[in-house]
Amino acid sequence: MTSATPSPKSPEVSEKSKKYDRQLRLWGDHGQYKLESSHVCLINANATGTEILKSLVLPGCGRFTIIDSKEVTEEDVGNNFFLELSHVGQNRGECAKTLLCEMNLDVSGEAVIDDLEEHLSVHKNSKFFDRFSVVIASELSDKTLKLLSRTLWEKPGKSIPLIYCHCIGFIGWIRVQLKEHTVIESHPDSVIDDLRLDRPFPEMVEYFDSISLSSREDIVKTPWLIVFHRILEQYVKSHLLREDSMNCVNKENPHHLNTQQKRAFKEYLEKELRTMGLHEGDDVFAESMKAVNTALTPTTIPWQVQEILNDKKVTDPENSQFWIMCAALKAFISENNGLLPVRGVLPDMTAESAKYIGLQNVYRDKAKRDAEDVYNRCQSIMEESGNSPITLKPEDVRLFCKESCNLKLIRGQPIFEELETCPSSIVNEIAQNQESPNPDCMFYVMMRAALRYYSEFNFYPGASDPEQDITEFKACVSRLLAEWNCNVNGNADYIQEICRYGGSEIPSVAAFVGGCVAQEAIKIITGQYTPLNNTLIYNAVDCSTTSFNLPTD
Amino acid sequence: MATEVEGVLPKSIHEVVTTSKVLVVGAGGIGCELLKNLVLTGFKDIHVVDLDTIEVSNLNRQFLFRKEHVGRPKAIVAKESALVFNPNVNITAYHDSITEAKYDVSFFKQFSVVMNALDNLAARSHVNRMCLAADLPLIESASAGFKGNVTCHKKGLSECYNCTDRPRQKTFPGCTIRNTPSEPIHCIVWAKHLFNQLFGLADEDQDVSPDSADPEAIGDAGKAALESQSEKERISTREWARSLDYDSKKLFQKFFHDDIKYLLSMSNLWVTRRAPTPLDIDDLPDAVASSSSAAAAASTVLKDQRIWSIAECEEIFRESINGLQKEFLGGNAEPLIWDKDDDLAMNFVTACSNIRCHVFGIQQKSRFDTKAMAGNIIPAIASTNAIVAGLIVMTSFNVLRQQYDKIRTLYVSDREANRRKELFAMERLAPPNPKCYVCRDKPELGLKADLDKLTIRILKEKVLQNTLNMIAPDVELEGKGTILLSSEEGESDEIIDKLLTDFAIVNGTRLVCDDFLQNYQITITIVEMKEEDKENVRNKEETIFEVVGDLTQLNPKAEETNAASPKPSTSNGNKQSASVGNGDNEDELCIIEETKDDDYLELIEPTDENVSLMDTSTPPKNFKRPYEGTPVANVPVKKRRVLPAPDPNNTLDSDVVQID
Repeated sequence: MTSATPSPKSPEVSEKSKKYDRQLRLWGDHGQYKLESSHVCLINANATGTEILKSLVLPGCGRFTIIDSKEVTEEDVGNNFFLELSHVGQNRGECAKTLLCEMNLDVSGEAVIDDLEEHLSVHKNSKFFDRFSVVIASELSDKTLKLLSRTLWEKPGKSIPLIYCHCIGFIGWIRVQLKEHTVIESHPDSVIDDLRLDRPFPEMVEYFDSISLSSREDIVKTPWLIVFHRILEQYVKSHLLREDSMNCVNKENPHHLNTQQKRAFKEYLEKELRTMGLHEGDDVFAESMKAVNTALTPTTIPWQVQEILNDKKVTDPENSQFWIMCAALKAFISENNGLLPVRGVLPDMTAESAKYIGLQNVYRDKAKRDAEDVYNRCQSIMEESGNSPITLKPEDVRLFCKESCNLKLIRGQPIFEELETCPSSIVNEIAQNQESPNPDCMFYVMMRAALRYYSEFNFYPGASDPEQDITEFKACVSRLLAEWNCNVNGNADYIQEICRYGGSEIPSVAAFVGGCVAQEAIKIITGQYTPLNNTLIYNAVDCSTTSFNLPTD
Repeated sequence: MATEVEGVLPKSIHEVVTTSKVLVVGAGGIGCELLKNLVLTGFKDIHVVDLDTIEVSNLNRQFLFRKEHVGRPKAIVAKESALVFNPNVNITAYHDSITEAKYDVSFFKQFSVVMNALDNLAARSHVNRMCLAADLPLIESASAGFKGNVTCHKKGLSECYNCTDRPRQKTFPGCTIRNTPSEPIHCIVWAKHLFNQLFGLADEDQDVSPDSADPEAIGDAGKAALESQSEKERISTREWARSLDYDSKKLFQKFFHDDIKYLLSMSNLWVTRRAPTPLDIDDLPDAVASSSSAAAAASTVLKDQRIWSIAECEEIFRESINGLQKEFLGGNAEPLIWDKDDDLAMNFVTACSNIRCHVFGIQQKSRFDTKAMAGNIIPAIASTNAIVAGLIVMTSFNVLRQQYDKIRTLYVSDREANRRKELFAMERLAPPNPKCYVCRDKPELGLKADLDKLTIRILKEKVLQNTLNMIAPDVELEGKGTILLSSEEGESDEIIDKLLTDFAIVNGTRLVCDDFLQNYQITITIVEMKEEDKENVRNKEETIFEVVGDLTQLNPKAEETNAASPKPSTSNGNKQSASVGNGDNEDELCIIEETKDDDYLELIEPTDENVSLMDTSTPPKNFKRPYEGTPVANVPVKKRRVLPAPDPNNTLDSDVVQID
């Protein structure tokens, strides 16, 4: 069908939103906006690096800058799809930039030829890195990585996220450095509906009570939630709140049933539904019975959210939208019986439109009022703190309130510290079985040693003379393990495995690691989903992927 | 490529890589990434099959395609783009469906391994059978959003694709669509059918008017009189609309008022259901007079994501009908093909389905959500496909060296998989299911059916093709040699609508069903459905047949679900059965790397490690995994040099990087 010109009132869909349709369903227009406003820095356009940029250019990151001083070699062309033979001898970043940009005309790229170390020393206190939303680096020496990590971590104002990744042969290593990362939309796989049956708000009770359930006719057209609520209240009154009742476990909130009571209630519910003239064939019956397990879940604040609300930043939110909203949320909770704002989203229910919409409006209106309350609190917090440069829109606060039970906070650990201290969790893990240590831990040790080796020799083990390199690398590994007081037998195979590849990348490992790093970069940029914290070892020998939080797990 | 990267890979891998011929089925999201990896890895002889053409919505991830390629065949363009990178590879591209008869067992046999990068169950099941028949290893993959998985099927060693029950594409009984919708999707399917009735390829299975033959409605007074009237209309929905010059007001009145009133007259339907409320176009609820045109102009995106009022729906109904009519009658009167990415078509379906939802008291959906449901849209991004395609090639190294014990099924996810701190869960390959209806020796199934209704056509289309994924089935009566169904064109046309009972088929008759191309034969035992089951089935509007995995199950006691059998089919013997986008939209069958929603869920979830709600910041103490073997070193150093000869005393179990 040819596309016709839609009339002005029609919901016009742009070419861009068509192109990005499949991903907008993952992170929405606001996530896409953040992606399109982002500026990604890649240090070293090797196979893994260009794989990462490919997966960021395609979905439309705004800009990218490649920092690479190397010239294209024939080997580069052999494992890098974004380099051609005619590029040999030219600057690698420049060549990769050209081919990467061809994939998406909405993205602009640039290449910086300077040597990174020079760059770091020249720009140490300058604003060069400030422009980047995230810096991604690959194949550095541990000296350079330390310098880069510290520079980005200690940026005055706001630290810049750094992802380091490195593939040698069948082994991949990803390290994410996030000083502080907050997530509003963490997209959990499943969320328990916020129904408040145990903590009803007045408008809810008023609406529920206004619905007549006197005839079967009425009931089959009523959303199950209302019927369920009516029966639950009856049950609580007749079974749990009687003077002589021994059944009530939780006097404070009799609605919080234990497993046994839930079972008893389920029987009661079924009996009552049948008394109302309902049976299995009725949607209300089926939906009520199905809801027993989830609908009775107590309304609480998840501990991760509680932890965020207890964070020191809540008392001193500086100029952070997120922390200002947290401070407001905390105040809201303390004045609202310890409850989070109502989410205002109901699951689908089979019922008459009017009743369902009425029900929906009760929850939606309450959610709106709660969000307004939090919004007003945000405003007064900002006024108190004087001239806040932050602007908060009501819809930002609404989203925050809706997602308040899914908030996530990551306070990461810096790479430079990891490179200077003993990674105790790895060492402990190795110590548990010195005879055949956990291979993923061993490969972590190897990657660390390879970085150090590179600092000493300026090439990766195996890249020069195979036998001599192995000897040198072995010594390097031993020194590292000695520093960590770590004894391990039989690391010769690991050493050979690393040396065999002379630091070179295998395309499919680069594809895997590149894809993983791109996912993490997207999570960081969009502020949605929970990024990796903080280390991933991909061991293609055993096809395993292990994550660690280093240096102190 | 000129830079022969000999030595990057261990010698044993390098050898199999350079000498193997591989078949890639699908050149979409995963397919593009896979082709890139194969070429970079040094594979020399790659064949790629895809029947699809390139669309704008592919460009956010299928990086071998550019805007100027839109409309061209994926397989051909993918080949061209990959060859620019490395002209020294042999890539053979087929713009074709893999289920074509020319891709027979001998075609498959020329390959060392088959890699599926497909998006649908039917093609996956077919390739599975071809690989079983040709005794070829099959690497299967899928992706959806941030999630994905890769596994391997090898005859006799591991389960085949059909060993586990795959939830199939949902289909809905015609009666549900036409008379008694209860979910938004029912109204969306109805709206798509209405589109085809008015502007597209009219299909008698996609009728939208009330169905007076609904078994539930039988016995209604005045039915006969009304029936003759509806019979007339059925033939001529489009003619009727044309005669009115697509007067949107009259169309609205018919679909949302008159037809609904007619449905109300079938009072049996509304005994236990909430009856619909006919809509009067002159008295629409929520008549937001301004139609929020100012707000709508401010943000088109918002309009896409919020729910329209009925008045707005009517307005968009009117606009889209006018626009579509011009397109339909303006051109060469070619029928229009519904396309979720076409604004008018999508607006039409959103408006119609929302109005119908309102009439039936079903929750309304935004255009954005409607599009996802109508188009079977599964989110897709480049990064996940890159991960999956990387894993496919890593798996192929073990497959090609026949080291099947080292292969794992991997589940890619956006969060840590489990307590053992694996980012992605992995599992050993499961052994073949001894009760599998495909890969076991002499497969058998039971077909429990209402013999008063089971025609040869239903047997062919609904049972053998839709449920058992055969392509061109032949059926004969066991022991008698009577041919019931022939795959030869036209040979069975005369008898296809006859009942099986016309051929003396009774309870216990055994049918030998055969798909020559798939080299697949299965014996089906007919079991007459009990009266009470028939009743039950009618009440649920479900189906007139049920496929039962294990014949022992046919005694009433043992009817629990059996992993070996396909789920009791949700497809419907009723001719008017409708499906979400099954065949009525080329587009949705073509998004190559995507699995159907349900399919994907079933594929992705690891069996025991599902701790997605677990907090990942409190690590459990122990995260040890069993580990077999240690990577061995006696292998050439990569690009530049080769290590001295392997140490013969090395007795360690070799792993991926072993030298032969």
